[in-house]
Amino acid sequence: MSKSNATAIELENLTKRFDEVVAVDNFSVGIKRGEFFSLLGPSGCGKTTTLRVIAGLETPTEGRVLLENQDVTKIPAYKRNVNTVFQDYALFPHMNVKKNIYFPLKMKKVPLENAEPKIQRVLKLVNMEGFERRLPQQLSGGQRQRIALARSLVNEPAALLLDEPLGALDFKLRVAMQKVLKDIQRNVGITFVYVTHDQTEAMTMSDRIAVMKDGLVHQIGSPDEIYNDPATAFVASFIGDMNFLNGTVLFMSDREGKVEVSGNTIRTRKPKKVSGGGKEVLLCIRSERVLLNPHNSQLDNVIKSRLKRIVFRGTDYEATCIFDESEIRAVVGATVWDHSLREGDSVRVGFNSKDVVMFPIEEERDVIKYSVEAV
Amino acid sequence: MDRKKRRFDSPRSYSKGVPIVVWLLFLVVVPLIFTFTMSFYSSKGLVIEKILTLKNYKLFFTDPVYSRILFKSLRLALSVSVLSIAMAYPLAYMVSFKMARGRNLLFMMCIIPLWVSYLVRIIAWRSILGNRGVINSALMTIGIIQEPLRIFLYNRFAIAVTLTYICIPFVFIPVYTALEKIPRNILNAANDLGANELHSFLNVVLPLSLPGLITGFIFSFIIALGDYIIPLQLGGTQGIMFGNLIWSQFGFAFNWPFGAALGFILFVISVTILGLTAKFGSTEGGFLSE
Amino acid sequence: MSNAIGKGKLEKRGVGLKLYGLLIFVFLYVPLCVVLVFSFSPTKTLVGMSGVTAKWYKELVQDQELLKALLHSFEVGISAVLIALLFGTSGAFFITKVRFPGKGLFRALVMLPFVLPGIIMGLTLLIFIKNLNITLSMFTIMMGHVSFTTPIVMFQVSARLQRMGPNFQLAAQDLGATPFKTFWYVTLPMIRTALIGAALLAFTVSFDEIVISYFLTGTWMTLPVYLYGMLRFGLSPKVYAVSGLILVFSLSLILLMTRYIGRSSEEVLVKR
Repeated sequence: MSKSNATAIELENLTKRFDEVVAVDNFSVGIKRGEFFSLLGPSGCGKTTTLRVIAGLETPTEGRVLLENQDVTKIPAYKRNVNTVFQDYALFPHMNVKKNIYFPLKMKKVPLENAEPKIQRVLKLVNMEGFERRLPQQLSGGQRQRIALARSLVNEPAALLLDEPLGALDFKLRVAMQKVLKDIQRNVGITFVYVTHDQTEAMTMSDRIAVMKDGLVHQIGSPDEIYNDPATAFVASFIGDMNFLNGTVLFMSDREGKVEVSGNTIRTRKPKKVSGGGKEVLLCIRSERVLLNPHNSQLDNVIKSRLKRIVFRGTDYEATCIFDESEIRAVVGATVWDHSLREGDSVRVGFNSKDVVMFPIEEERDVIKYSVEAV
Repeated sequence: MDRKKRRFDSPRSYSKGVPIVVWLLFLVVVPLIFTFTMSFYSSKGLVIEKILTLKNYKLFFTDPVYSRILFKSLRLALSVSVLSIAMAYPLAYMVSFKMARGRNLLFMMCIIPLWVSYLVRIIAWRSILGNRGVINSALMTIGIIQEPLRIFLYNRFAIAVTLTYICIPFVFIPVYTALEKIPRNILNAANDLGANELHSFLNVVLPLSLPGLITGFIFSFIIALGDYIIPLQLGGTQGIMFGNLIWSQFGFAFNWPFGAALGFILFVISVTILGLTAKFGSTEGGFLSE
Repeated sequence: MSNAIGKGKLEKRGVGLKLYGLLIFVFLYVPLCVVLVFSFSPTKTLVGMSGVTAKWYKELVQDQELLKALLHSFEVGISAVLIALLFGTSGAFFITKVRFPGKGLFRALVMLPFVLPGIIMGLTLLIFIKNLNITLSMFTIMMGHVSFTTPIVMFQVSARLQRMGPNFQLAAQDLGATPFKTFWYVTLPMIRTALIGAALLAFTVSFDEIVISYFLTGTWMTLPVYLYGMLRFGLSPKVYAVSGLILVFSLSLILLMTRYIGRSSEEVLVKR
């Protein structure tokens, strides 16, 4: 499990336009060898297009693609040493499992005798030994997925590109396959570029994630960075459960900020993007960082509010509290929930300034909202 | 940043299209151009004078004999199409909605007459309608008549019947396809909301199958309009239709320029009508794709 | 309660419709049966049919002209289909893979020989041929047949290509196959049944074709043209015998074709 600092894939100012639509906008990144790198975002954000450019199935409008430090921008897909696992697997229906897996080796003119051990090795890797003679139509979704994976790995490519490979599987199977994929990636030590719209998937499997929207890369970072230090309001809203409050800046220094929200003064983390007082801003706080009726007087922010709604979610309780026109959700573990609380009660909500992230109000339009209008 | 180029693929990949374009030029475009050109020539005896003139078209539009034939053919085509719909639509409806099993088999059996020889079907009708044909023989055997009736053959009735017979499968296919596409749960919903079968039919099935119906009607119309063999075989003296009018220009009348003009007129009419299918009819359900 | 009454009415209407449908069905098949029956009748009419005989069929086998015409039909059919496969398949790839302006018009143009009345195709090709001073022969008839067989192939194959989707070819290229190898190892096997089905359909149409062929024929005749010539002398029993043969042959071709055309065939026949 060695992750050297060598770069497996590098994108330099990659831009792809279809007519007037900008699918990918100036994407630059260096993906390290052996890294599990995810492209995460809602549909239409450009993640699949980026993947196809790396694979060579699309040519970029501007920019370069480098594979192992070689410029492959002009090189067609069949000459590149990367393989793709497609969302619908694309197993050749007129070939059985063995012939499907043999196909890439056949294209490299490897005779069948030499190929046999390699084929057996990948079949073992995906736990599908014995299925050589089956046809794709005779396999289940999960089995087809594993054969597609095997087929892409048999040539030992420099990197494996996966386009939402688990999208067609049901939940339990998906979770199981996530583990399988991660194990294979670690064992083989191969670079993975993984496209998904499922943030949990990306968070659990990746070394680093690039969060995209409408062709723009909002942030590239580790799951921890993405979660705790979102670069934009969109990233903040896309991952996990985030509270959003509108306020006006009262005071700004290079160590902290003070924002007025519905008559309350809220102390925030060191502001990165906002400068100057009087500006309207968006404050973000993770709902699990909001405490109800906190004892700890060391909390920077405590607001009086009214408990509007309590929802029991099995492992935790979600309490929605309102103060003036602002609404804030607190998620409290079931074991520490105060069962005397009732809807309509007055409660104090508290959170630390280091948990409050500030964004300019213009970024509010990127926030993923879940409401009736949004449907 | 060449926007215009991005809308379509670069011309380099057009090379795949070279064979089909060559085919199109040689077998469709150029022949049509030659025909159009010839329609402006004139014929003197056995020689074709290559001087441009409008007299062929003038002749057609001014001499009532010719335009009358065209209108006769249009009327006949209309009747044939209506008859074909009257027979094919209920049949399609029956197969699509009333048959629980064996629908594919039944569909095939309604299509088979389409594919088994146009000429043989004409021969069949000649033998049915003729003096010693099936109908006359049957009637004489039963004793209704003593002499064979001459009313069945060599007239417009014979042409109409035979043409209808030819056209029924051409109406059946698009109508059946359109009917099959109607999701059955829509009818369940209609039933659930209180519609009986007639209402369901008029308000749901008929409108939804209308594109298929129009397509079938138009196919049938075009076939009936342009046919020349059936009028030649079964039409007798009454049966001069536009089709065999054109044919005779290339035959014994030997007036190729006039034939070209008539042919071009028919071409324009057909293309216009076919254009209507594109607008109002269904684009699927052809015999060419499944 | 209204359901019970409704159901009764429904069934009644259903019965009426079924009866009508049956009548039309009979109407469709009676003429064909008449021809078949007559072909076995020793006398010329139905009335007084005195037994069954195969002698008209026997006479056919001895008719040299007829056999020649039959052979010609096969020659034209097979060559036209082969040429159509070439032009039509390349056209299908062109239409499904390349984005170009005016695609709708292009498709319509290619469809023309198939949807226009045969007389238009016949006369345009005839004029074209005469302008080039070519004499009417097998070549000219073949031109006519290629004109309507090509659209058949092109639209069948393009429908299959569209159903297939682009991913199989993309996957092949991704795995290292050059465009040619992709075509040979992946695309071609996957459109195999469409090609066979289209070929059968095109051959059937060509075998039976009279409208265009009659325009473009010189002394070299196909079977339908020959048969048409026989009609000049009236409806002889031999005519019925030839018709019977054509009926049976076309029918078998169609039945064979259904194995290859349509969605269900794709799954069944994909195994090798």
